[in-house]
Amino acid sequence: MDGLTYRLNEWIRPTDHRSLLVDSSAGLALGTLPGLEDYAHGTRAILPLIDGLVCSPGQIRRLVPVPGSKALVNTRSNAALLVRMDWTNTLRGTDFVLPPAAPRRLPILTPQDALDLGATGMVASFYLGYEEEIEAACLKSTVQWALAGKTLGLPLLIEVCPSGPRVMLPDKAVELGASYAFEGGADVIVVPRAGRKTLETLAAFLSVPWLVKASSPEAAAPELEEALACGASGIWLDHRIFSAANPAASLQSLSERLHVPLAA
Amino acid sequence: MNYGLETRMARLFNRHGDGRAVCVAADHGYMSDVTPNVVKLRPITEAVISGGVDGILMSPGQSIRLAPLFQGREGPALIVRADWMNMPRLGSSNVTNAVPQRHLFHQKVLNAEQALQLGATAITIYLFLGYDDDVEAAGIASCAQFAQECRRVGLPCIMEPLAVGGHVTGTNVVDILTLGARICVELGADALKIPYTGDVDSFARIMQVSQVPVLVLGGARSDNERDALELFAEGLEAGCHGCLMGRNVTKSPNPEQLIRQLGLVAHQGYSVDEALRGQKWDHLRLKAAPTRCTGCNLCVTACVAAHGTHTFGTHLPRLHIDPVALGQHKVFFCTLCKKCIDICPTQALRWHADTGAVELIPEACTACEKCVDVCPTKVVMKGPAPAGSSLPWVPAICDLCGAGPQEDTRGGYLQEGSQGFPACVKICPTVAIYSDERVKIS
Repeated sequence: MDGLTYRLNEWIRPTDHRSLLVDSSAGLALGTLPGLEDYAHGTRAILPLIDGLVCSPGQIRRLVPVPGSKALVNTRSNAALLVRMDWTNTLRGTDFVLPPAAPRRLPILTPQDALDLGATGMVASFYLGYEEEIEAACLKSTVQWALAGKTLGLPLLIEVCPSGPRVMLPDKAVELGASYAFEGGADVIVVPRAGRKTLETLAAFLSVPWLVKASSPEAAAPELEEALACGASGIWLDHRIFSAANPAASLQSLSERLHVPLAA
Repeated sequence: MNYGLETRMARLFNRHGDGRAVCVAADHGYMSDVTPNVVKLRPITEAVISGGVDGILMSPGQSIRLAPLFQGREGPALIVRADWMNMPRLGSSNVTNAVPQRHLFHQKVLNAEQALQLGATAITIYLFLGYDDDVEAAGIASCAQFAQECRRVGLPCIMEPLAVGGHVTGTNVVDILTLGARICVELGADALKIPYTGDVDSFARIMQVSQVPVLVLGGARSDNERDALELFAEGLEAGCHGCLMGRNVTKSPNPEQLIRQLGLVAHQGYSVDEALRGQKWDHLRLKAAPTRCTGCNLCVTACVAAHGTHTFGTHLPRLHIDPVALGQHKVFFCTLCKKCIDICPTQALRWHADTGAVELIPEACTACEKCVDVCPTKVVMKGPAPAGSSLPWVPAICDLCGAGPQEDTRGGYLQEGSQGFPACVKICPTVAIYSDERVKIS
């Protein structure tokens, strides 16, 4: 087994090839997130319940096991830590304290940085529907990071984000983004929730694990069922899960639905 | 564990074992005008080092020239400015702006390894928020790159989010600073330097979301050094881990003394008044709530009774009440401002070691009247000379009468274990005069 597969198995369970991932890296663009004011405290309770946690470069340093540290995170029983490789202002709305006038996206880490930070995976977004330069830069990053990841043994997850104003056919944009990510070399792909036909199309051509982004924490359970039925490998929740009433209970329930119990 | 990072963080923040640092920003010549503090950088640096400064922020060039000052176990930590910007020169309204700049320019000028070679204990870089999206994105890229470079070589990266530019208003500046602080942390900052927001609560909110040590900035130069100390004390109350004072220290008439006072506040737990005095006391100071004063003058008569012939009257009180409008009164008493002590040519006035009040040494007094004249509240009176004295009078000054611990029966205005109430405080029926500088009247 090579390093890449080994690390991939840390967050895509080898027993059922399924995964429950949570993205906590939006603070890079949005600042303090509800429920994550104290990051370590906010994430600690959910770490045993999920397969992977996506962190910003700064926050992953607070969770990675450090010899002698009192804040040791046991990676055997806790989620694998994935690191966000890019930054964007597209997450900000018009009511944000600094509303963006123009979309911006840029890489903030190299694959070597990600490895040095102790990450078991790289996470980047693939934006569609904004300026052509952004789409082109996303494609280039995907190829370069995927190639570097193969050398370093570090898997790359691409989150398809057809969120720009020029997206005319949302479901087709999901297919296009997934195709670009796949062709670019992504090891895992996350797509937004789309119609059943689109999901079935994805299942037909994606030979890597792919997950569906829940449209909201509340809708995650039914959307998970639908995604699994279409051949997806799991579900991805964004930072809104941390401001839900009981994140741990929600994730526990999702994990039980998602993972095939091991035979006694 | 990143041993280099831990060691350098401790060198900066733990020289006194308390996790706090008093630092000076001396990099103004790198970005703004050639002011006297820039010209006299070497003597100013020597002065603040004598005052016990924990770290000094410098440009790369000055870091080389002044390197010998940082050497040795007792030397301060060198913080190197790793980027450059032209913001202080933007616009033409500043008459001292020799070459006004048309738009913000911000760039990285050296990498973490080069800073390490200069002997840096940490580097600092800006993150501009409030200009346009390109400026912010470039800043994000720069900070992200520095964070990884610094981590690789074990060098603490101090990021400085700044809320400046056309998108910043009086109402969103705190939100932008809070956002910037958290973005820096998410990018991998090891510490932050942040301007004070103006109130403890909003600054505490930034501390809460920062999760890394924060140094509060001094801001614009104030002529009153108390302002810098009070800003720092409020920053500490909000939870910051130290200060990085620039012009308030480097343009101070006595940088060494100000650094010493900041150190007393940071490392010895002194209040601002105690730091200004240079001594930590455990006794009283009179405070007033003028809106409660009814002008009954009971305090005046009680003062006379406590110091005179044990009879009530209004002759030679150490405080006075002046009407300022119908139903409004102003209370004047000794504020322990120290002006009388400073002006006395024969050192006949000093602090009383037990009460903390101003104490007269009658033998040294020449009745020169300077203390009477200088008193801003006009409560130094010409009192009777002691028996046998050749002087026509000696100063009569508030002695914070009412020695000895007493129980607090007045609603918590006096801390337990402190000195008892002065006579004016005891008698005031509306608590318009009270004796604890820390507790506020609600």
